[in-house]
Amino acid sequence: MSSPFSINGGACVAMVGKDCVAIACDLRLGLQALTVSNNFPKIFQYGDNVFLGLTGLATDVNTVSDLFRWKVNMYRLREERQIAPRTFANLVSSSLYEKRFGPYFVSPVVAGLDPKTGRPFICGFDSIGCIDFAKDFIVSGTASEQLFGMCESLWEPDLDADALFETISQSLLNAVDRDALSGWGAHVYIIEKDKVTKRLLKGRQD
Amino acid sequence: MSRRYDSRTTIFSPDGRLYQVEYALEAISHAGTAIGILAKDGIVLAAERKVTSKLLEQDTSAEKLYILNDNMICAVAGMTADANILIAFARETAQDYLLTYNEDIPCEQLVRRLCDLKQGYTQRGGLRPFGVSFIYAGWDPQRQFQLYLSNPSGNYGGWKATSTGANHASAQSLLKQDYKEDCSLDEACGMAVKVLSKTMDSTKLSSEKIEFATVGQTKDGKVYHRLWSADEITALLKKHDLAKDETAEEK
Amino acid sequence: MYDAPTMEVLLGITGKDFTLIAASKAAMRGATVLKASDDKTRALNKHTLMAFSGEAGDTVQFAEYIQANAQLYSMRNEADLSPSALANFVRGELASSLRSRKPYHVNLLLGGVDPITHKSRLYWLDYLAALAPVPYAAHGYAQYYCLSILDKHHHPDISLGQGIKLLNLCTDELKRRLPIDFKGMVVKAVTKDGIIDIEFDDDKVVHAA
Repeated sequence: MSSPFSINGGACVAMVGKDCVAIACDLRLGLQALTVSNNFPKIFQYGDNVFLGLTGLATDVNTVSDLFRWKVNMYRLREERQIAPRTFANLVSSSLYEKRFGPYFVSPVVAGLDPKTGRPFICGFDSIGCIDFAKDFIVSGTASEQLFGMCESLWEPDLDADALFETISQSLLNAVDRDALSGWGAHVYIIEKDKVTKRLLKGRQD
Repeated sequence: MSRRYDSRTTIFSPDGRLYQVEYALEAISHAGTAIGILAKDGIVLAAERKVTSKLLEQDTSAEKLYILNDNMICAVAGMTADANILIAFARETAQDYLLTYNEDIPCEQLVRRLCDLKQGYTQRGGLRPFGVSFIYAGWDPQRQFQLYLSNPSGNYGGWKATSTGANHASAQSLLKQDYKEDCSLDEACGMAVKVLSKTMDSTKLSSEKIEFATVGQTKDGKVYHRLWSADEITALLKKHDLAKDETAEEK
Repeated sequence: MYDAPTMEVLLGITGKDFTLIAASKAAMRGATVLKASDDKTRALNKHTLMAFSGEAGDTVQFAEYIQANAQLYSMRNEADLSPSALANFVRGELASSLRSRKPYHVNLLLGGVDPITHKSRLYWLDYLAALAPVPYAAHGYAQYYCLSILDKHHHPDISLGQGIKLLNLCTDELKRRLPIDFKGMVVKAVTKDGIIDIEFDDDKVVHAA
């Protein structure tokens, strides 16, 4: 209860589909059991199809998301091209490890499509930058255990964009309903080639 | 006379001049022309690219027009190597501001930061000034579309239409003649190619010889900036009957 | 890890074209009230006001540091920072302090009206430098009593009069429930025309049920 990872609460999940990926987060910001805001998104966009989800200590969600905006903007101006998800994942990893002995208390999730091949890419990290590559799904946050359960039972390979949206939405909504520290609505991004759809889910407001 | 007072930028000549700064300005007046025109719904920047050799690789990246930030672009006249240093500084300054305030840096502030740096090199000993002038085009919520010009001395000013580089005096008088208050971005683009065609050595232009960029606003109010592709430039030149005759080139 | 809430009351409410900021007047040291006319707010510029609570010493020091920086910006650039820009600036300063040898322990509410769009803005910041834009907010124990009242009665387009009525609902509940007297509230409203002091009746007696 006193871990910095579970003061503010929050949940995030990413999933692979057929030629598409999805990433979703809840909207709660709390102070232990008290909810302060129900509009605190935890997913950030860093290019046409590169997304980062950040759960954990809210101050570090703010800090880390701003920091990567700085780094990715400088990358884009210097290279005159957008950053690729895999490149971004390595940037996240090395940036977090830079703070090995005073880490940011966040559990990042990266989702995107490779700009050249169009292949889905997702991965997760621990707070000091160890990358967890996955072919199916990545979960993080205070509802991560519930999310593991939901994703294990609902996810299947080669879901199309609509089915993937349904799967990730149901996984997240039902996971956060069994977690007191996350919920209060959700953002869901479905990333296809040349198209990103963002949906706002109302969710239970309790 | 000049030998005594121009070895350092820190020293005024007896008649109150800084020779090194004047030499920098002289260097710029040999560079390709760059012009900027402020329209009511946007800004156009156009620059002459001097093709020095046929053997030179014409890579895709612009060499006279650069993106500084989400709300700002610039045209360069002068030494590209010096410009690169200043552009890197401007980009970092803009991103630092975004990191601190979560807002894009106001245009004039970014211009001023760059000019403060430029000014330093006219005063501190043993250093040569940056041999570049910039034309900046940007937008911010406080003052909407803005056009600035800065030179090696660290001076800058806001303009409705301005130019720098070779023939900038004649370009400036052409702009003064042709400029219409409240012109549209399309009209400004037309004016830009006409002025360039008159100030450049060859009367007929081609997309290899010029670079073009615009800052504008979409219908939903979002500000964009765009470096034009070769095809778009060719289309614009054709529209204004300034394109080089392609069959003539074959001969 | 997260520090226990304080008895100091900070409240913020946004409305159609204003942001209300209220702070308790009691300056406390442990269980002792040292002063009953404390002003826990600082104006950062013409249309942004910041209220603060937390460790004695840190609070005023930090707030006046921010105030000085905001005013320096206004002088240098002949333009004021927007409430949003200031909130992010404050967050940055607090966040870098958090990982220093002696972090500031200050909770903040930052309210104002955007000088260009004239939209009302309110930002909640805790001492860990977590920043959230909110329609209404509180700090300390007041959160537990007031947020539910505001959940029920707040609308985004309320008038200043309705905002003050809402504030009265909150302070009545605080008087009813808080174990010590917080000595009434300093109340200020930020509108597009600037920051105004609001006369607030502190003498109303509310009895616990």
